[in-house]
Amino acid sequence: MSIWTKQGSLAEKFWQHGNAGFPIYDMHGHMGSHNAIYFKRAEAAEMVAHLLRAGIRRLVFSHHHVLFSAAFRNQQVWEICRSFPDTLRMYVGINPHYPEIIKEDLAQFEQWRPYAVGLKILAGYHLINVTDQRYEYALQFANERRLPVLFHTWGGRGGYNDGPSMLTLAQKYPGITFFIGHSLFGDWEYTEKIIKETPDNCYLELTAIPGELGYIERMVELVGSTRIIYGTDMPWFDEFQGLGGVLSAKISDTDIKNILCDNVERLLGQDW
Amino acid sequence: MPWLVFSAGKQSAPEPLEKMTMQELFFYDANCCLGLPMNGGNYAPDAAALLQEMDYYGVGKALVRHLNLDPAGAVQTNADLAKMLRADHSGRLLGAWCILPSQCDEIPPPEQFFASFKENRIAAITLSPFAHRYVPCRLTLGKILDAAAERKVPVLLNAFAGRWAELYDFMAAFPNLTTIYQEAVGKWGSDRNIRPLLENYPGFYFETAGYWVPEGIRDLAEKYGAGRIVYGSGFPRYNHGNGMLQLRHSGLPQESVAQIAGGNLSALLERAQL
Repeated sequence: MSIWTKQGSLAEKFWQHGNAGFPIYDMHGHMGSHNAIYFKRAEAAEMVAHLLRAGIRRLVFSHHHVLFSAAFRNQQVWEICRSFPDTLRMYVGINPHYPEIIKEDLAQFEQWRPYAVGLKILAGYHLINVTDQRYEYALQFANERRLPVLFHTWGGRGGYNDGPSMLTLAQKYPGITFFIGHSLFGDWEYTEKIIKETPDNCYLELTAIPGELGYIERMVELVGSTRIIYGTDMPWFDEFQGLGGVLSAKISDTDIKNILCDNVERLLGQDW
Repeated sequence: MPWLVFSAGKQSAPEPLEKMTMQELFFYDANCCLGLPMNGGNYAPDAAALLQEMDYYGVGKALVRHLNLDPAGAVQTNADLAKMLRADHSGRLLGAWCILPSQCDEIPPPEQFFASFKENRIAAITLSPFAHRYVPCRLTLGKILDAAAERKVPVLLNAFAGRWAELYDFMAAFPNLTTIYQEAVGKWGSDRNIRPLLENYPGFYFETAGYWVPEGIRDLAEKYGAGRIVYGSGFPRYNHGNGMLQLRHSGLPQESVAQIAGGNLSALLERAQL
C-alpha cells in the first residue's frame, strides 16, 4: 500500500480531493514576470485560480517588480491584493538602495493592513548584507510592531544572507518574527542554530525544499515540525508539487499539518 | 472547503476534480538511479532498496541508470548495473547503459552491443560526454547513435541538464533519435529552452523531475501533446512522491495523466527493436 492509498491519511485525502479539509498557508510567494523564466501564470487572476485549486487560503507574496525594479511600488501591490481579498496578502518589499522609498512605503504600512502583513528582504539579490545599516530603519520598524519579515537565505558562507549573518540579526531583533526563506538551504549547522540559539522568533520556510529526498525529515528531526512553515515561491513552483513534497516526506500527519497550517495560525491567528 | 469565501466576480470556484485512484494509474519512472555514489549522499544501494522506496509511493516500474556513472565510468558501471538488475526478480526494473565514442573500442560495436541488451535487462542508453571528456557529435558517436536511431532505442539526455547550447548542437546532429531530456538539476523553469526542442524534434521527449512550473505539465501537454511527456522522479536527489501529486492534479484529463505517468515510457520501450 502506497502513501496515497493509506486510508484516512493526509496523503490519501490530497490525492483524492486535492485538499484535506484544512486551510493551507503559502508564506513565500511572488508575482509578475521574470527576466530569466517564462511564467504563464504570473499575474494575480491566474495565480489565484491555481491557489484555489490547491486549497491555499492565503498566499503572502512580494512582487517581482518591486524587488527587481524601484519603479514599481508597494502601493501597486496593495491594490492588487485588494482585488483578491480572500487569498492575497503582501510583504512590503524592501530595497536597501532606495532609503527614501523605504520610508515612504513604511509610512503607509498601517493603511495597507490587513493586506500588508510583513516585510521582504532579498539581500542576496540587492547585494547588501542583511546586517548592513541600510536595512536598519525597516528592521526597527518591524521589530517595534512585531512583524514577520521574510528573508531570502541560502547555504554557504560569506553571502549576503548566510547563516552567521541571519543568526546575528535574529538575536538583535527579538521582536521580529524571522521567516528564514529557503531555510538556509544546505547549511545544516545554521539551520539548527537559527532555531536553537534565538529567542523563539525564527521559523524555517520551505520554498525549493519539498521533494528533496530526506530533507524535510532531517529538518523535523533537528528542530521539530512546529518551527517550519510552507512556501513555494509561487509563481515559480506548482502548489501540488510543493504539497506533494511535504506529503511525501516520511513524517507524521501531525507534522504535515503543523507545516501547512497550524504553525501559521498559532503565529498570526485565523483572521488576517 | 469552508474557509474559502468567494467575492462575487473576483474569484471563481475551482473546477471539479476528476476521480483518479492510484489503482487506475501506473507510474513508470524514467529518471531514477541505482547504486553507490563515490562521495556518499542519498542512494539506493541495490534493487531491493530501490523497490522498497518505489513501493512506498506506489511507483510500478523504473528505468534506471547507475548513480556513479560519471566518476566510475561507463565500462565499470554498465557491468555493475547489469549485476544489480540480475538480482531484481520482480522484473520491475530495466536499465540504461552508457555509451562512449566507438573509436576506442571500450564498448562493443553496435550490433554486438544492442544484441546483449535483452539478456541484461537493458532497454535504453545514456551518455555522459562532459564527465567522460569527449565531444558528443557525429564523429564520436555517429556509429552507435545511428544504430540506436534505427532500432528506436531511447537515449537519456541526463548529462545535458542545463547545458542548452550543447544539447541544441547534439539534437541538430542527431535529429532522428528517440531522446528523453532529463533535467532534475535546477528548479528554474526552462520553457524557453525546452519548447523549441519539443517543437522541432518529434523524437524529443520531456521528463518531469524538477520541472515545477505551476501547471506547466498541463501547458506543455496542451501545446505539444501529452504523448511527449514522461514522468520521472529524479531519485535519489528527489523522492518519487512530489511529482506524482503534481501530475495527478495537473488539471489534465485522466487519459493524459495516465499517458505521462507510465503509458508513454512503456510504449517507447516496447517499440525499441532489441
